[in-house]
Amino acid sequence: MIRWYWAGVLALALLSFLSIFVGVIDLSLRGLWRDPEALRLIGISRFPRTIAAVIAGATLAIAGCVMQMLVRNRFVEPMTAGTGQGAALGILIVTIFAPQASIFLKMVLASGTALVASLGFLEIVRRLPPTQPLLVPLVGLVYGGIIGAGVVFVAYQADLLQFISVWLNGEFSGVLRGRYELLWLAAAGAALTYFAADQFAIVGMGRAVTTSLGLNYKQVVLVGLVAISLISSLTVVTVGIIPFVGLVVPNIISRLFGDNLRQTLPLVAMMGAGLTLASDIAGRLIRFPFEVPVGTVLGVVGAVIFLRLLYRTPRYA
Amino acid sequence: MFRAFALSLTVMTMPAFAETVEIDTYIGAAEVTVQPDRIAVFDIAALDTLDALGIEVDGVVSPLSVDYVSDTAEGADPVGTLFEPDYEAIAAGGYDLLIAGGRSSRVVPELSEVASTIDMTIWEDTVGQGLARLNAYGEIFGKQDEAAALQVTFEDALDAAKAAVADEGSALIVMTNGPTVSAYGANGRFGWLHTALEIPEAVEAVEQATHGEAISFEFIRDANPDVLIVIDRAAAIGQEGDAAAMTLDNVLVHETAAWSNDKVIYLNSANVYIANGGMQSMTQIVSQFATKFAD
Repeated sequence: MIRWYWAGVLALALLSFLSIFVGVIDLSLRGLWRDPEALRLIGISRFPRTIAAVIAGATLAIAGCVMQMLVRNRFVEPMTAGTGQGAALGILIVTIFAPQASIFLKMVLASGTALVASLGFLEIVRRLPPTQPLLVPLVGLVYGGIIGAGVVFVAYQADLLQFISVWLNGEFSGVLRGRYELLWLAAAGAALTYFAADQFAIVGMGRAVTTSLGLNYKQVVLVGLVAISLISSLTVVTVGIIPFVGLVVPNIISRLFGDNLRQTLPLVAMMGAGLTLASDIAGRLIRFPFEVPVGTVLGVVGAVIFLRLLYRTPRYA
Repeated sequence: MFRAFALSLTVMTMPAFAETVEIDTYIGAAEVTVQPDRIAVFDIAALDTLDALGIEVDGVVSPLSVDYVSDTAEGADPVGTLFEPDYEAIAAGGYDLLIAGGRSSRVVPELSEVASTIDMTIWEDTVGQGLARLNAYGEIFGKQDEAAALQVTFEDALDAAKAAVADEGSALIVMTNGPTVSAYGANGRFGWLHTALEIPEAVEAVEQATHGEAISFEFIRDANPDVLIVIDRAAAIGQEGDAAAMTLDNVLVHETAAWSNDKVIYLNSANVYIANGGMQSMTQIVSQFATKFAD
């Protein structure tokens, strides 16, 4: 296990290093120490982008992992539960009613609506019969679809359909100092889930087991869902919807190392971060000096991995 | 009554076989009956030019996206949206001529089954095709003089703009969309801003792409354009340029010559994007350049 931790840390460090030196403006390692311009560029653009990819990837993977535990279904991720649509709704509302608001303020407000949408989902889920775990993702899809339909209707009327879809398309090209800091909140949220890791792992074994082990099932689920909503809403409004990370990474880790979340969550985080960072670097290089959105790169890579997972199913997890 | 009289006058003054006129459309030359009685319009650029010519429209799509054509569209019957014509309404409307183009060009075959249809798409050569459409409408509706006058107005405005930007240096066309930016080149859908106004490109590698190339702010700083032409995707609502300025207002863009010399020009996205090639749209845009860069 320790071996894998080190491998993860090493890979992540390597990718971060690459990420800092890949970009449109030339940056050489040699001149770095003498060149204040280069350090400034790293501070303004490269470091925020690298850290944004790391946080977004890691937190989305963790959110996916926790959600899969909570609803006991391996093919669920938060984006299929109305969070993304809630964020879209917020961006739409704030664009229509307060177009003068700064981008950061828009992000804060949209995170709010995404959180409200997620809490709405939570309220619905609490009323579902606990014996039917599959209802949760299904209801999530329907719920997200309804909010999404409303967003599309209003956006179409206001001629903002493309605006919304481009805003929500996951990419890091807009990340600069001052435009990503909300992600630190998501990181804090993800870090907090680590303290409840054991509880989530137990909830993953079912309500009966959880209760007989003396845990308050409802309370653990509530804490988990709030954490998930917070993480995904902040990620969506800051960098857009990044597909597959929350779905694929927890599955791979779970197959390799099982479901002891206290041990595996760091691996989940590192793999999510690495996958996202690698995709972003690839997106910056494929059509240099232009960009391919990370959402597009991951859409392709993630789909391939996901299909592989579906076809090779050692269902012991 | 008057219309019938006017029509018979036109018919009489022309040779008997000239009830139709040959015009250039996007898909080649077409024979069109002159002075059609009832027309429906499925393209905003077409509506823009017809509005400029003072031609009445009996059916029109909605939403219009640009505000300056609303008086012409006011009395017209709805015939669906740009992407989805309402065939029932069109069949019931008894139109003599349907004018499609751009976003509605793919439904031209279907529209042709209902009534005589022309595809007036303006695409590769915005200015050239825009003027060709203007003259075609002039021919069809017997408004050749008005069309010629509009062409002169536009060309004067274009010359003024050209003179104004002549010594401004190179430019980069970007479209802002929320927090992100994409770039357009001289071959893209807004390329006529480079070619017609004769502004050199700050970056020559931007390929021909309908939706632009996603770029980073580092790209803009590295390109360091003297002029930044900004198309604000969110300007459909609110003050134009506001949201775009917010997106571009960052340390990297501040370092470009364009930003530090206040040579950033914000274009209304509906004008340049939806009504691209319409006479009023083009005249307004070049006038905006003339005003911005007048010394």
